[in-house]
Amino acid sequence: MIAVSGVSKTFGRFGARRVQALDGVSLEVRRGETLGLIGPNGAGKTTLLSCLLGFLRPDRGAITVDGKPPDDLSVRARTGYLPERLGFDRDLPGKAFLAFHWRLAGGARSRAKAEVEAAADRVGLERPALARPLRGYSRGMLQRIGLAQALLRDPELLFLDEPASGTDPRGVALVRERILEAKARGATIVLNSHQLTEVEKVCDRVVFIDSGRLTKSETLRGDSATRRRGLVRVSAAGLAAAASVLSREGFDPNADANGSLRFPVGSDDDMARAVRALALAEIPVYEAKVSAELEELFSERAAP
Amino acid sequence: MVRRYVRQKYGAPGFLVALGILALIETFTFANGGGRGGFVIAPWAIFLLAAGSVSRDVSSGALQMILSRPIRRTEYLFGRYLGILVSYGLFLAVTSALIFLVVHLTTGSAAEDASPLRLVLLAGDAFATGAFQAAILLMFSTFLPGIADLLGLLVLFLVLHLPPWNKTWLRNAADAARENLLPQVSWNEALRGEGILGAATGRWVFALTVYLVLAAVIFSRRELPYGQD
Repeated sequence: MIAVSGVSKTFGRFGARRVQALDGVSLEVRRGETLGLIGPNGAGKTTLLSCLLGFLRPDRGAITVDGKPPDDLSVRARTGYLPERLGFDRDLPGKAFLAFHWRLAGGARSRAKAEVEAAADRVGLERPALARPLRGYSRGMLQRIGLAQALLRDPELLFLDEPASGTDPRGVALVRERILEAKARGATIVLNSHQLTEVEKVCDRVVFIDSGRLTKSETLRGDSATRRRGLVRVSAAGLAAAASVLSREGFDPNADANGSLRFPVGSDDDMARAVRALALAEIPVYEAKVSAELEELFSERAAP
Repeated sequence: MVRRYVRQKYGAPGFLVALGILALIETFTFANGGGRGGFVIAPWAIFLLAAGSVSRDVSSGALQMILSRPIRRTEYLFGRYLGILVSYGLFLAVTSALIFLVVHLTTGSAAEDASPLRLVLLAGDAFATGAFQAAILLMFSTFLPGIADLLGLLVLFLVLHLPPWNKTWLRNAADAARENLLPQVSWNEALRGEGILGAATGRWVFALTVYLVLAAVIFSRRELPYGQD
């Protein structure tokens, strides 16, 4: 659906002010896929998102959405976008803000009120809050109303930049639910976030961007998953025994200071086999999960 | 887009107070015999209403959100321009009404200087001049940050009013540029039939079109980074 081919972007023209923000980035996002952009600050993620939205023009390379340029109006009619920081008229009441975007998105005036209220309900914004100007909103509320506007008219394409930034744990869970809902109805989603546990929960694939280059792509779901780690937590006393049992089963466990063992697994069946082996050896397992361990990936890639 | 602009301006308490002060000063200046040849204070409102009309949306990130919707950049731009004109028109209408009321209440009779027709002509004169200045500010606002468009307007004015050139052909070129890019049109006289409406409107329309087309071309090509990594 989204094709990015050899995209480069440089800011500034001379000397120290010249910054190569993107350097030959190529990737594809399939229809219905949820792609996570991860990487350190200044890596070029926001620049890439700006190019995907058509706000910036690449110096080299091309970006198409269903074969059309990203700023094509037919593409934008199907797009929802949430910036990291909601910038809008602070004196505008929340409902007027949503109604404005409803109309901009091509929604019928007659349905605006009902749709605005439904959108606010979806993100847990109370009706009295909708009547208040945006200047009175907390950071979390701004993120919620921003998400509500991005989801207006159920867009096929969603670009979300740090959607859960500044929200409380309930807000984080709500953002996750809305993303999963959009995903369930077949939306294609590009998510830029530093909240790696959330990225792992919703994304089908992540690409790692560092110094403007796409350095790694990992599939997190399905049979073609490329990054799957088993994690079991046992008592400190049982750590050595557990490691021994897992080694005998053919795994390659690494222990950490918290009493956890991590090891690569090929499938969910592998994980079940590992847990069964520990249970048969009568080693109490406090926690067992399969994870992509994106934090570990991030640390590996971000290390100087 | 037009409604949003009007709401932006008249919804902000600071703007409302500033516009209110301008309207009151104009009213009392007029009532005390000043500004009989035209509005003196009210035209300054255009700078309040039009400065930073696009650049503020760029820096706040609002523009990026708007342009992620199916709307052309030119639609946005001319929506802003119309918004400025409507806001300014509203301001002039209220100011004129205020002048009418104050002059008639204080003099107790139908003062000729503040007759409805005369006030409409004066407001029309201020509106046409303001519409022109707004087009220049809009053009500068498409690429200058914050309210640097005001500085752009000032620089343009100074450049086109440089002291006479020594060379005749340079002087002629400068005069032609000034007359065509900053035409001085007395709308008040033209609307009363005391000036030549055809020549006045021709130059005015030409220059206005130049600034609006330039604004559209620059804005269509502009990149919009919305944040930092």
